[in-house]
Amino acid sequence: MTEAVFPLLGTVFVVLVVLPAFALFTKIVLVVVERLEAEGQHEHNLRYLLLVGSSLVPIGWFLSAALHQVESGKSALACLLDHDASGLCIEPSIFAALLGGLVAMMVVRLVLGHQRVPRSSSNEAQLLATRLEHLLSTRPAMADLRGRLVVTEARDFALGTRGFFRPEVYVGMAFAGRLSDEMLASALGHEREHIRGWDPLRYLVLQVALAVNPLGRGLLESHATRWQASREAHCDREAVVDGAAPLSLADAIVRAARPSSREAVALGARDTAVLEFRVRLLLAFAGKAPARCSHRHSSAVALALAVLLIVLLLPHHTGTAALDALHLGTEQTLAYFQR
Amino acid sequence: MSFRVRPGKKGLRLRLHDLEAAIMDVVWGREMSSFAVGDVLAVLEKQRDIAYTTVMTTVARLYDKGILRRERDGRRYLYAPKMSREEFLATTAREVLDGAIGGHQAMAMLAEKVSEASAGELDDLEALIQKRREELGE
Repeated sequence: MTEAVFPLLGTVFVVLVVLPAFALFTKIVLVVVERLEAEGQHEHNLRYLLLVGSSLVPIGWFLSAALHQVESGKSALACLLDHDASGLCIEPSIFAALLGGLVAMMVVRLVLGHQRVPRSSSNEAQLLATRLEHLLSTRPAMADLRGRLVVTEARDFALGTRGFFRPEVYVGMAFAGRLSDEMLASALGHEREHIRGWDPLRYLVLQVALAVNPLGRGLLESHATRWQASREAHCDREAVVDGAAPLSLADAIVRAARPSSREAVALGARDTAVLEFRVRLLLAFAGKAPARCSHRHSSAVALALAVLLIVLLLPHHTGTAALDALHLGTEQTLAYFQR
Repeated sequence: MSFRVRPGKKGLRLRLHDLEAAIMDVVWGREMSSFAVGDVLAVLEKQRDIAYTTVMTTVARLYDKGILRRERDGRRYLYAPKMSREEFLATTAREVLDGAIGGHQAMAMLAEKVSEASAGELDDLEALIQKRREELGE
């Protein structure tokens, strides 16, 4: 019984106390960051890292600390070469399994919650595939979309990027039928930016980070929504820089928002305010071509992985005092109630 | 006037709680240029079971938020909207977009309304694009 106390109470403590505390801290930092952004300093990736880190940093640290408790103070390199599994204690291991299991459960729930879009191979679908192939062949800048376009006859599906590790652009037949070649190519250019930025995976990690934290949605969801809106606008801009026609893209975005297309995330046309802003931005681009933003977003995934690696290695160098205190605290709590 | 956005809500409810939005719907919908709490209550009572004090408290909150102005009329207050529905939505859009993309850029490209994308609004956007096409001679 006592072996189960730390894993259970420790996990409850992390979820109900540590994560909400991090969410609150992150909220404060985000408010400051967004104020700075309003003054013209844009830190798009910082906002994402803060949102994701609010949950994944503490969880990552506790997981690593539980698995490396016996190696505290030893070189992380030595652990990579020869992890001292013999020193693993049962209680921290179960704690790590529970915490990891919680995150895994959230991932599975969110992945299963994604609408599945069937591929189509009918004659009509083949015709659209040929049309798409022709669009790519006449636009060399979009050559990297070759092999990543999927035609679907799914009802009410417009256009969207799916797949976490090898994203593909799904094109709804009915939606494509309402677009001219230039509109369709421009819309594909927008989705291409999502692929280049690993957005399906990034959005999933963000959703997991919010879902696993009891205060995640309450405190941070509005910031996440704004981050996603700015990401959509960024994809519009980069698509135009890469040759998309701004007015055709604006047309495609508005058509994707039509009630006949109920794909909520089609081209990011989710909210009228953001939709109208993006359209006005594209109208402005039609008169004056935008300059390319620095491609810092492409390094965001690498940056997030680097931060995660540092967090995982931290217990080696800075010790596992917080985990030890948590362990001791739960046992003392149990002893207090058993008295 | 400044208050927080309510995630997942649309239109008036992006900034107002449900009862606040319902009251402003009545005020703007019936073009009430001046009203007492009882006037709004009379309309809301037909739609839901609601107490006078609830409406009074909510109307007072709308005054505190700067959406209504008021003046004394004997022992009661007479309220009036400080802005039209469109002006309110424009202010909301400005604040939402201010946070979405970055202040100055957003202010320069101000969107005028926040609501569920309706066919009419999408028609307007398409007309805007068409007008731009004509300006550019496309």
